[in-house]
Amino acid sequence: MTRAVSWIYLAIAFAFIYLPVGTLVLFSFQGSTLPVPPFDGPSARWYAEVLSDDGLVDALSNSLLVAAGSSILAVGLGFFAAYGLARHVLPGSVAIRGLLIAPLTVSYLIIGLGLLIVLTRVGLGLSLLTVAIGHVVINLPLAFAIIYASMGAQQKNAETAARDLGAGEMQVIWLVTVPMVFPAIAAAFFLSLTFSWDEFIIAFLLSRFDVTLPVEIWSLLRSGLSPRLNAIGSLVFLVSVAIVLLLEFLVFRKRRA
Amino acid sequence: MTAPVSIIKLNHRFGDFHALKDIELDIDAGEYITLLGPSGCGKTTLLSVLGGFIEPSEGRVSIGGRDMTRVAPAKRPTTTMFQDYALFPHMNLRDNVSFGLRMAGVERRARYARAEAMLDLVGLAGSAQKRPHELSGGQRQRVALARALAVEPDVLLLDEPLGALDLKLRRAMQDELKAIQRQVGTTFVHVTHDQEEAMAIADRIVVMNAGRIEDEGTPARIYRQPASLFSADFMGEMNHIPASVTPEGIDTPLGRLAVTSGFSGACVACIRPEAIDLNDGPIALGTARVKDAAFFGTYVRAHVIPDAAPDLILVANLPPGEVPAPGQDLVLSAREEAFHIFPTGD
Repeated sequence: MTRAVSWIYLAIAFAFIYLPVGTLVLFSFQGSTLPVPPFDGPSARWYAEVLSDDGLVDALSNSLLVAAGSSILAVGLGFFAAYGLARHVLPGSVAIRGLLIAPLTVSYLIIGLGLLIVLTRVGLGLSLLTVAIGHVVINLPLAFAIIYASMGAQQKNAETAARDLGAGEMQVIWLVTVPMVFPAIAAAFFLSLTFSWDEFIIAFLLSRFDVTLPVEIWSLLRSGLSPRLNAIGSLVFLVSVAIVLLLEFLVFRKRRA
Repeated sequence: MTAPVSIIKLNHRFGDFHALKDIELDIDAGEYITLLGPSGCGKTTLLSVLGGFIEPSEGRVSIGGRDMTRVAPAKRPTTTMFQDYALFPHMNLRDNVSFGLRMAGVERRARYARAEAMLDLVGLAGSAQKRPHELSGGQRQRVALARALAVEPDVLLLDEPLGALDLKLRRAMQDELKAIQRQVGTTFVHVTHDQEEAMAIADRIVVMNAGRIEDEGTPARIYRQPASLFSADFMGEMNHIPASVTPEGIDTPLGRLAVTSGFSGACVACIRPEAIDLNDGPIALGTARVKDAAFFGTYVRAHVIPDAAPDLILVANLPPGEVPAPGQDLVLSAREEAFHIFPTGD
């Protein structure tokens, strides 16, 4: 009896989480022009329309470019910050660590406004580059925290052994440290990727002519509901799912082995 | 490859803590040395100084006649076998063992051949493709040894290499370490706190305490004629008998012993449990009552209370015949050389 209740509870919980997404995906295959019941599909016309819309496809590739570029930079900077703080005794390392993580607590709106003021003041025009800089700002603390947490005594001893066997500092980092903390690096990278991919406020504030997908979707929303938006949403969802699955297969499975 | 090591007037301080005090030590090429002492005695610090991981506050280290005091670990003719092995978990055994050769720029085929040969030497032939996590503790230890020896160091430094193994495996690995050392001829400096391990393995034992060298010599010499009370106690069980030196001999609660010593005043007379004999001998220790006794296979271990000194309890390892019953009276004796006299209260 209690067993049945718990199964029902689980089903309700999952329905609560996935029903909106499921509805969104379902009505992206709607045959008529309004994404409301009754369902009269399936039809792929909205996907065809979306994929032949140059603005949307550009926004999609812009998003991928910004996400990949900013994640690589955030993870790279986060790794070196973590390595430096985990391996060397620096004056004020607690304060440095705090300063690196602090941006996590600041709202994206504030970060975006701050960057907007600073970047226009230094004369850097708004572009995808500025969006990417904004995404590095929000993802660096996360990447740093994940990688720093994974750097323990085990790597430290292996690094010492590598130095003892004649390895230079770059060889130690590249041949020993990076492979040993690779699961954390990959986790940080994929998380940064999803955060950058979904991010709206900073991308909205720091872009001008070339925009990322969330900003493009926002401008489409102003013209009202359409199954096109469902189709775009489904594609975005598909990319997010793909990233999560990659993370699962590449990182967590390896860790269990 | 092998080389002698000289340590000259070495001192090291961690802040206010004086970890190494006036260490002077010469190690011959091809010698197997153990640094023996309790935790915190400075033995691991000394090993780290030899390996280049710690730069000493004062003094010099020379290896093969060259000054190595301020040379980085990578540039020294030493390699270290670490306590936790510090293998590279993401590499297979062949890549682990050939890592040092790769850093030295040896081309792939040559270094792989050498790695296979080293794995063969430590009894892991055919495991080149395995990863460290597939191995047992003893096998990992062998890989660490192969990795450290693959670069043909002049001196191999071993930091409590057998500490994580169970007793039986440890005894087996001791013999193997010694055999491998004989085969490669490299100078081995081995840190341990286990005096049995030190005796089993070393050509020469260096006993350390509180940052100083207390005693150094062959295992037999250190066991039989320890240079200090600390060294005497650390090398094995010891009976302590309070005594004082007089011109006629040494006065103890067991009577006056006809033993000579080079000083006068309050002292402690030490005798090992196995040096206490039954019946009449050159030096009579009087009669004693058995408190308890137990059979240990090769000997009978007894606690006895001398009649002349009821406050004193002596441990005696007796021949493995009949186990004496508690309350039984025994006549004890010893030979003169069985006693070690150390001054007290200085």
